[in-house]
Amino acid sequence: MDTLTRLTRRVEREQKARKEAEALLEKKSFELYQSNQELKSLAAELADKEERNRLLLESSSDGIYAIDREGLCSICNPAAAHMLGYESPEQVIGKNAHMLFHHSHQDGSKYPEEECVLQTGLEKEIKLNVLFWRVDGSPIDTECRAAPIKQNGEVVGSVVSFTDISERLETEMQLRQAQKLESIGQLAAGIAHEINTPTQFVNDNIHFLQEAFEDYHKLMSLYDQFLQASEETVQEDKKKEVNLLVEEIDLEYLQEEIPQAISQSIDGLKRIAKIVRAMKEFSHPGEHEKVLIDINNAIETTIDVSRNEWKYHAELETNFDSDLPQVPCLPGEFNQVILNLIVNASHAIADVVTNSGNMGKILISTQQDGDWVEITVSDTGGGVPEEIQGRIFDPFFTTKEVGKGTGQGLAITYSVVVDKHGGTIVLDSQQGVGTVFTVRLPIKVEQLEVQDNE
Amino acid sequence: MNKRILFVDDEKNVLNGLKRSLRSQQKDWDMSFVLGGQSALEMSYNMDFDAVVTDLRMPGIDGLHVVKELKKHHPEIICIILSGHSDEEMIMQSTGVAHQFLAKPCTTRDLINMLTRIFSLKDFLGNKKLQSLVAGMKTIPSMPETYNKILRQLASPNNSLKEIGDTIKQDPAMTAKILQIVNSAFLGLGRHISDTGEAVSLLGLGIVKSLVLSIGIFSQFDEKKVMDKAFSLEKVWQHSLKVADLARRIAVAENAEKEVVDNSFLAGMLHDIGIIILEEHFSEEYGRVRELAQTKGIPMYQAEYEMFGATHAAVGAYLLGLWALDDPLPSTNTRRFVGAAWMVFRH
Ligand SMILES: Nc1ncnc2c1ncn2[C@@H]1O[C@H](COP(=O)(O)OP(=O)(O)OP(=O)(O)O)[C@@H](O)[C@H]1O
Ligand SMILES: [Mg+2]
Repeated sequence: MDTLTRLTRRVEREQKARKEAEALLEKKSFELYQSNQELKSLAAELADKEERNRLLLESSSDGIYAIDREGLCSICNPAAAHMLGYESPEQVIGKNAHMLFHHSHQDGSKYPEEECVLQTGLEKEIKLNVLFWRVDGSPIDTECRAAPIKQNGEVVGSVVSFTDISERLETEMQLRQAQKLESIGQLAAGIAHEINTPTQFVNDNIHFLQEAFEDYHKLMSLYDQFLQASEETVQEDKKKEVNLLVEEIDLEYLQEEIPQAISQSIDGLKRIAKIVRAMKEFSHPGEHEKVLIDINNAIETTIDVSRNEWKYHAELETNFDSDLPQVPCLPGEFNQVILNLIVNASHAIADVVTNSGNMGKILISTQQDGDWVEITVSDTGGGVPEEIQGRIFDPFFTTKEVGKGTGQGLAITYSVVVDKHGGTIVLDSQQGVGTVFTVRLPIKVEQLEVQDNE
Repeated sequence: MNKRILFVDDEKNVLNGLKRSLRSQQKDWDMSFVLGGQSALEMSYNMDFDAVVTDLRMPGIDGLHVVKELKKHHPEIICIILSGHSDEEMIMQSTGVAHQFLAKPCTTRDLINMLTRIFSLKDFLGNKKLQSLVAGMKTIPSMPETYNKILRQLASPNNSLKEIGDTIKQDPAMTAKILQIVNSAFLGLGRHISDTGEAVSLLGLGIVKSLVLSIGIFSQFDEKKVMDKAFSLEKVWQHSLKVADLARRIAVAENAEKEVVDNSFLAGMLHDIGIIILEEHFSEEYGRVRELAQTKGIPMYQAEYEMFGATHAAVGAYLLGLWALDDPLPSTNTRRFVGAAWMVFRH
């Protein structure tokens, strides 16, 4: 091989090696570039995530804060600061959250930190209504969720989010008030009818009596003339006249009808008086204390004011224990309970008898059972379906159309019986057969103020 | 022949009271008093009645059911609801079913006067076919433009009672209907309402809205149904409006009291309502009435009489009587003002 050839081969080899090296370099630097890119986008993504979290925290309308194991505030979003009356989250961060937000109970008494569920290390997520205090010392009602923060399985603090529900509570109260007014309004229409009907026939009877009296008057003056007439022939004539008039005014009819017209009018007036009295007794305005009441009597009153609600499709029977002791009650609220149960029974019956012309039955009975008085209201309606039995006492739970029910009747009933009277209310219902509600009230209540029997 | 009237109530005392207080009517009326809807229906299968006066809410078969059933067999029957429920619900339910609803307590005199007036207008009309037609009428057709206008106004969120009252006031058909409802419902007030603005505000926007939108107390004129090509609803209504307006102005100029002024306007508005009823239901015959009047050279009312045995005035009067619009020409003054206005615009 001559030198030239060797040299040329060498150059070729070297050139090839160089090319290979260059290609490798290019490949490596490309890879480097790529991994660099990836790193960059990862960083951006992270920043983005953090930004999003920050935005989320900052734009949330719920108040959110976190506390560490010492109860010191580590995170606080602007909504939380704002709701609690602080200018910025910085005023809160690093301070003891309990001492700032939950230092006292509603009544102003001290709320020790050890008792605060939000403060003592949470194990799992909880949801509850909590009273928060603003920096200016005013309270807000909140609905609150708290969850533990865990690191490597160990609880290192908790995060709390809360919503201001004072407005919602206010609306709920207004709604409750509205429902009460609505039920009174509804009753009023029925009561008007209960008054209008007897008024109609009392009016008619009096109109009749007026005309009848005029007829009697005619007859009496004729009799008078008859008695005055001395001559026999004149007397004969007058007698004929009298007989004619007796016929004309149908004296027999009058004599039969007048006493009835009077007694039916008296009944009508009694009915009007009774419903007016019941109306007054039912509402018990201004009575906010428990007093001893005659349960049977109170139920009777409620039956009277609600008659128009049920009388077109149900008969109502009572079975009262006449030896029932008096029971300490809030009279207005107790009547509301009975009214709700009667109206529900009546609705349930109306649904099953619609247009059939049949009548259902409502039975109300009372009895004593040891230290308890038991009131049952039963109906022959369609019953409460099993699936909803657990929910009927929930506020706003209703199966009725708008305008017929708001779903507050039983919720109010429950709170009156259980919370305000320390009693119980139990549902027993069989579909297709009917429903029984049993209310039990304690006869003795310790805090009861003894009534003066003046 | 005596008029036969069926009284229905679910309370014996009410029936007893009515029977006693209506004792003096026995010479003119044959009255039956029955307890409950079921017995009312049973009785109606064996007997004819000119009128029924029934309670509304009764257990089992209620008053509306009774009325509907009776109307099926006796389309000319006069139907009155007498109920202790003087609330909105009653108005809503009975409008379109009964001719009038009286609120309990209602005096014997009101009841007698009302029925007597209706009976006499019915007898005056005579023709049985027309009696049934008028008794069965639920609405009088309005001009489509006015009808659409009122729908628009009611649907608008910022409507006002005043606007709505004004629209109704421009339309004789709506005027008649709204006054029927208000006078029927508020008979207990002891006064008669002849001003549509007052009527609308007494009822309130809510009721007016559901009456118009869901019960359909107004309707629009369907031109396709009319065979009489010479007829124009618009012309008749415009004529009515002109007479009404002039009559009112004459009344004002004569220093008449408000009631007379209102009544003059109303009477002018409604004086041709009978023509609309005849045109809507006997269009072909009414076309021939026109021909008859022309060929024979006789006045329209005479031609009407030859064709129907009654004039459009009698038809209108019976409808207004049934609809609780008191005699629109109660005082001689009103009569004078409307008469004068009418002479000016005579067709
Ligand atoms: N006697 C009953 N028979 C059958 N279902 C009943 C009965 N009582 C209550 N319910 C059921 O329970 C639901 C709740 O009753 P609740 O009285 O709380 O509300 P409501 O009657 O619907 O409305 P409101 O009482 O506020 O007018 C009713 O909608 C109905 O479905
Ligand atoms: Mg209820």
